[in-house]
Amino acid sequence: MRKRMLAKISEYLMTLLVIITLNFFIPRLMPGDPFTFLSSDEGQVTVTYSEEQIAKYKAYYGLDKPILVQYTSYISNLLRGNIGYSIYYNDHVSTIIGKRIRWTISIVIAAIVISSLTGIVLGSLSAWNRNGVLDKGLYTLMMTLSEIPAFLIGIGFLFILAAKLGWFPLAGGMKSFANYSSFADRIMDILHHAFLPVLTLSVVRLGEFYLLARNSMISVLTKDYMRTARAKGLGKMRIIFRHGLKNAMLPIVTRVFLSLGALFGGAILVENVFHYPGVGRLMREAVMVRDYVLVQGIFLLVAITVLTMNLIADIIYRRLDPRVS
Amino acid sequence: MVKRIAKRTVAILLSAIILAGSTGCGHSTLSENKNGNQDRPVVVNLEGGDWGYPTPFSHYARGPGLYKMTLIFDSLLERGEEGYIPWLAEDWDISEDGLTYTFTLRENVKWQDGQPMTAEDVKFSFEYFAEYPPVFSDLTVDGKHFIQSVETVDEKTVKLKVEKPLAILLGKIGSTRIIPKHIWEKVEDPQKFNTPEAVIGTGPYVLKDYIKEQGAYQFEAFKDFWGPKQRVEILQFVPVSDSILAFDNGEIDLTRITTDILSKYQSNEEYKVLRNPAFWGYRLLFNMERRTEFKDKKIRQAFAHAIDKDELVEKIAREAAIPANAGYLPVGHIWHNAHAKNYGFDIERAKQLLDGEEFSFKLLTGNSNNEVRIAELLKISLAKAGITLSITSTDFKTRDAAVKRGDYEIVLNGHGGWGRDADILRTMYLTEKTSNRSPAVGGIPGYDNDRINVLCRQQLFEIDAAKRKEIIFELQELIAEEIPQIPLYNTTGYIVFRPAAFDGWKYMFDHHGVTHNKLSYLDVRQ
Repeated sequence: MRKRMLAKISEYLMTLLVIITLNFFIPRLMPGDPFTFLSSDEGQVTVTYSEEQIAKYKAYYGLDKPILVQYTSYISNLLRGNIGYSIYYNDHVSTIIGKRIRWTISIVIAAIVISSLTGIVLGSLSAWNRNGVLDKGLYTLMMTLSEIPAFLIGIGFLFILAAKLGWFPLAGGMKSFANYSSFADRIMDILHHAFLPVLTLSVVRLGEFYLLARNSMISVLTKDYMRTARAKGLGKMRIIFRHGLKNAMLPIVTRVFLSLGALFGGAILVENVFHYPGVGRLMREAVMVRDYVLVQGIFLLVAITVLTMNLIADIIYRRLDPRVS
Repeated sequence: MVKRIAKRTVAILLSAIILAGSTGCGHSTLSENKNGNQDRPVVVNLEGGDWGYPTPFSHYARGPGLYKMTLIFDSLLERGEEGYIPWLAEDWDISEDGLTYTFTLRENVKWQDGQPMTAEDVKFSFEYFAEYPPVFSDLTVDGKHFIQSVETVDEKTVKLKVEKPLAILLGKIGSTRIIPKHIWEKVEDPQKFNTPEAVIGTGPYVLKDYIKEQGAYQFEAFKDFWGPKQRVEILQFVPVSDSILAFDNGEIDLTRITTDILSKYQSNEEYKVLRNPAFWGYRLLFNMERRTEFKDKKIRQAFAHAIDKDELVEKIAREAAIPANAGYLPVGHIWHNAHAKNYGFDIERAKQLLDGEEFSFKLLTGNSNNEVRIAELLKISLAKAGITLSITSTDFKTRDAAVKRGDYEIVLNGHGGWGRDADILRTMYLTEKTSNRSPAVGGIPGYDNDRINVLCRQQLFEIDAAKRKEIIFELQELIAEEIPQIPLYNTTGYIVFRPAAFDGWKYMFDHHGVTHNKLSYLDVRQ
């Protein structure tokens, strides 16, 4: 058992090393460099550096050294826990990511909790009423919802709930420069700002959990023990949620953890629509301006999260299903 | 047990979110300090976004971070509506040989930490920037530092000696930020100097708050500012998802609008609409090293005749632009020559110039909506004259890298700065055989015209403004005739604001953004 665990862990470490290496080389292989700006967005301005200035910056960030030297110094810094100083954003990568990560984590976890719970309930009800009116209605609705792109749903909410009705703020993670009278006030403001992003993400994710729960439940419901439960005269709710769900949970739990793995990437579109201060938007910008150091930092984080969540899913799967050894 | 805790947590979370949503209905997000009320301070809110910590070294190279920094840091001269105006320097004098610049400094100028500003600070700033170039460095010409020495004559006089007597130096010296010696003399790594001390200048605004991840800045009027009284007490840049929704909602006080919704604001007295000067534009650049056919003037002129600029302005810019001039400098540039040749849309003339021959070229463009659409329209219209374009669209960094390497046949590029000093003609059209080319400009690959080269150099050394203007006028005529690259259109764009909230918006003589102009927020009469 211990041996197998060790093998598993070393497998994960190997994967991590490969990913770190790719993270280092792929951004540098992209055309363009962090210092050449010849064009700007319409109506915007940009600073164009002279060749001397570019050379100076390259030396400053060590980008003038051979790529293998850069790679070894990156790895040795990484081992010492130093993930670097951002080229474009002029701050420590750990600070930049640290300040944003909580925003993304909060909305994504909230959204996954909401969408998985709602999805499970609706999916189970759908399965119980298979081919009934409720099932058909829910199925059509969920299929439609999951086909609408995330940003469209977000813009829809923004226009109706925020702009037209004025129930929610239009942008940001909290009120700018507000003086909160109490801690509760502050929390309320943050929740208020998070509502639409969370709602959008939940709606986007709902379909997948619903379908998964429905399918899983349908196959469970045909099992013999379900017939026994019915024969015992147990109530409908008790059969579905106590006897059925327990057995149908397996794929759903796995999916929840896999979704958590995709934590940072998943929120990009929503963060863009609501101008939410998360990591997703930062990742997009960092790639756009070729901030190698920051790109590496974010992707490292993404890789670690995905791997950790996979590992947890692995472990939980074993716990939940005694047949997997 | 665990299950119960989990259940309870979820229930609390859900109810908290629902609660937060419902209480939100009560109070609106309108900023509380609305103006027009005399006894309340004037607060102006503008669209935010993270553009970096506003020091001369930390703001980002792209976007308006530069103009946030200039609210805090003053320079010797400032950009007014007509030209440079005295700022930290009350007066200045240029020696006849053009090699010595003497500035008389204003008295009683204080740094935001209470210390007095002196001639020593000015000397220090120029010397510091020579060692550590700021993000936006004005102290070089073609990448070479042009200041030979700086000395303080007395407490309020600074004398700068320059390497060569160039016509463009006053603006460059005058735009350089002045930073406090007592703070920066200890700083050896200015890019990483991001403490509160780093944002102490002599300027009209003090940085009160900067929240990087939210993209929010708060500036407050500096009480001991030496200059014109601030009309805006508090200036805030706040995160915005859709700027027009935010404007309608009262969250911001000014926004850019598209032509399609112009009438909604023009017909309403509550709003005022302004059309920006056309100092941002798209141009088409030929690589004559890659395709020697372009060395033939007739082919370039055929291109110019086969492009319908009016159509581009109408269909892509939705009329919020003007067709660009063949002589490069846009209408509205202080030295624009209205008599330089322009090429009307004339397919027959284009065919004549091509002499019945057919060509095919590769066009490289960025991937913004407008660039791709311009490229498509060019393709359709040039095809009529017998020129086939195949279009490649990439992200802007890939395109910029290709331009730098010279790896393209024709490239479509969009950028600002068309209103700057006419010396941009030299950086754009002069073929210098040196390694000091700035990648943005660097001439037109493979193009070399003796007369253009001569005039470009002459204007740089012509200290007499009237004579220099004549040279620039001749240069525009020559460039228009030669058409080594094709300027397509200059965007104007509209902005809308509520005059009742704040109406001080002004343009600089060479730039298109009123919110970028420090003078907009001050009580200046010119």
